[in-house]
Amino acid sequence: MKKVFLLFVISLLVISPVAMAKEPVKVGLISVLSGPLAVIGKGEEYGGRMAVEDYGEVLGQKVELIIKDHAYNPGLANERAKELYEKDKVDVITACPNSAAALAVSDQALRHKRLFISTSAGTCDLIAKNRYTIKWNYNDYMLATTVGRWGARHLGKRWYTITADYAWGHDLLKYFTAALKEEGGVHVGNDMVALGTADFSPYILKAKKAEPDVLVLLNVGKDAANSTKAAVEYGLKEKVKIVHALLFEVDIKGAGIETFTGDYVAASWNWQVDTPGARDFADRFYKKFGERPHFMAAAVYSSVWQYLEAVKRAKSKDPEAVKKALKGHTFRDFFANPGYVRAEDLLQVGKAYLLRVKKPGEVKEKEAFFEIVGTLPPEKAHPPVGFFGRKF
Amino acid sequence: MDIEYIFAQLFNGLMLGSFYILLSLGLSIVFGMLGVVNFAHGAIYMLGAYAAYTICQVFAQSFWLALILSPIIVGIIGMVLEATLIRRLYAFAHFYNLLLTFGVMLCIEEVVSIIYTPIGKPFGTPGTFVGSLDLGFIIFPRYRIFIILITMICSIGMWLFLAKTKLGAIIRAGTDDSEMVSALGIDISRIFTLVFGMGAALAGLAGVLAAPVQNIFPYMGGSILVETFVVVIIGGMGSIVGSILGGLIIGELITLGVIFWPPVANTLIFIFMALILLLRPRGFFGRAKFFE
Repeated sequence: MKKVFLLFVISLLVISPVAMAKEPVKVGLISVLSGPLAVIGKGEEYGGRMAVEDYGEVLGQKVELIIKDHAYNPGLANERAKELYEKDKVDVITACPNSAAALAVSDQALRHKRLFISTSAGTCDLIAKNRYTIKWNYNDYMLATTVGRWGARHLGKRWYTITADYAWGHDLLKYFTAALKEEGGVHVGNDMVALGTADFSPYILKAKKAEPDVLVLLNVGKDAANSTKAAVEYGLKEKVKIVHALLFEVDIKGAGIETFTGDYVAASWNWQVDTPGARDFADRFYKKFGERPHFMAAAVYSSVWQYLEAVKRAKSKDPEAVKKALKGHTFRDFFANPGYVRAEDLLQVGKAYLLRVKKPGEVKEKEAFFEIVGTLPPEKAHPPVGFFGRKF
Repeated sequence: MDIEYIFAQLFNGLMLGSFYILLSLGLSIVFGMLGVVNFAHGAIYMLGAYAAYTICQVFAQSFWLALILSPIIVGIIGMVLEATLIRRLYAFAHFYNLLLTFGVMLCIEEVVSIIYTPIGKPFGTPGTFVGSLDLGFIIFPRYRIFIILITMICSIGMWLFLAKTKLGAIIRAGTDDSEMVSALGIDISRIFTLVFGMGAALAGLAGVLAAPVQNIFPYMGGSILVETFVVVIIGGMGSIVGSILGGLIIGELITLGVIFWPPVANTLIFIFMALILLLRPRGFFGRAKFFE
C-alpha cells in the first residue's frame, strides 16, 4: 500500500507540471507549397520556420508552427484556415498569398475571433476589413503609389501603362494614376491585357507610338517577363524606362537578368537594404535554404516575430490583449526599421523602397540582382487612415 | 493612325498566326488520320522549347543545331508515345484517348518542372537575328521575319509532302478509310506512328521558335493549346489549307482586336469560332464526316 501511494505521489509530481501548463502559442502558416508558385511559397515557409526557431520560448513554452498548403486556391485556403483555427487551435495565421484566398482567411479569422496577419496578399480590401485582420508588409496602394510618386519626380513625365486585366491590375492602375497626377506626371495611355498573353508585341507597339518617357508594367510573373521581352525586341527599352509593379528574384532568374536590366520596381524590403540585421538574416537564410529571402519571406519572419513579442508584452495570447500590445507600438527589426501597426486600421506601415535591376556584370554575389535607388517615408507610401472608408 | 503602325501590327498578326499554323497542322493531321484529339500537343510544344534550351546549353548556344535537333527529338518522343500508349485506345471511343493525352500532358509538365524547376529558363534571341530589318514600308524585328519564313517553308513542305508523294497519298487515303488502306497490304500502324511523330515534330518546332519570343516554362503549352483548337475548328479538322487559313485569321484577329477594340481582343476569336460553328460546323475546309 505504501508503495502504491508513493508511486501515486511520484507520478503526480511528474505529470502535474505538464497538466498545469497552458497550451503553447500556436502559429499557423498558409502558403502555396505546390504548383508553379511554390517557389515563392517555400520562401515564406522558410521565413516562418526561422522565426519560430530563432525566437525560442514564449510564456515559458516553445512556439508551435503548423504549415498548410493552399495551392493558390481560395477555396482550399478557406478550408485550411478553418482547420487551423478549429482543429489545430492556432492563435494566429500568417502569410497566405493570393488576395481572394487572404480575404477568405480573414473571414474565418473574424468567425473564430482569432488573429490573421496577412503578409503576402496585396489587395487593399484587407486593410481594416475586420477587427482580427492585420495587414503586414506591402499593399497594392503602396506599390503603385511608390513607383508613381518617386518615378514622376525622377524618371520622367510621360507615362504609359500596360495593366493585367483583373481586379489586382485595375486597383494598381487606380492608385498609380492618382499618385502620378499628384506629382504632375502625364498618363498618356493604358492597355488592359488578359492574363497569360504570350505575345505582348501589339501592346508594345501601341505604347511605342505614344512616345512615353516611362512604361509601367502592372503585371506579375510570366506576364512581366514576356512584356519586357517584347519591349526589348522592339527597341522600346532603349528609349524608355520600364517600371514593374512586382518583380521577384525568381522572375529574374527565369527570364535572365539582361531582360530586366535597368528596370525599376517598388518593394517593402530587399535583402540588401541597410536595415541592421537584414544582411545577417539573408546570409543565415541562404546558408540554410540555398537561396536569398524575398520580401515575402522576410515579412513572414517579421510578422511572426512581432506577434510573439506582442504576446510576451501582453503576457497572454488572448487576441484582444495581443492586439492592444501591437497597436501603435513602434518596433525595429531587420524588416522594418522603424515599423508600427496603426491603431485605426491595423495596417503595418514602414518605409518603401525603389529598386533597380543591375547589369549582369554588376551582380557580384548570388542573387544580388537589385540596387536600392530611392526610399519613400511610410506616411507617403501607405494609404492615409480611412482612405478606403473603413477604420475602427 | 498611320499606315506603318498598322502594317507592323499586321506583321505581328502574321507571326502569331505562324505559331498557330505550326501547332494546328500537327493537331489537325493527327485528328484527321488517327481520330485522336491530342491534349498533350501543348505539352509537346513546351518539350520543343526545353529541348532547344538543353541543346543550347550543351552545344555552346548553337540555335541552328537546336532548330534542327529539337523537332527530331520531340518527334521521336511523339512516336514512342503513339507506339506505347495512344495506339492501344484506337478501338475505343474518342474520349478515351482524349483522357489519355490529357494525362500525358500533366505527366510531361510535371516531369519537366521537376527536372528544370517550375521557374522557367531564360532564352535570348539568337545572335544572328538580333535587331530589326528595314523592309521599306516597316521596320520589323529580324527574328520575327525568320519565324514567318520558316512557317511558310514548313507549310508548303507539308502540303507538297501530302499532295505529291506516295507516302502522302497513303496518309490521305488512311484519313478517309484506314481499314481499306490496310486491306491493300499497307502497314497502317506504322503510318499512324509516323503521322503522330510528324505532328509532334511540328509542335516541337513551334516550341523552339517560340522560346526566344516568350519565356519558356513548364506550363507554357496550356494557353496556346486553347487557341490552337480554335484554329483547327475554324479551318476544319484534318485540313492543311484549313490550318493555314485558320492560323492566319486567328493571329490577325487577336492583333487587330488589340488596336481597334482592346476589351474584346481575346474574346474576338471565340465569337468568330461560334459564328463558324453556327454557319459551317465543319469549318472552312473540313469534311462533312466530323461535325455534320
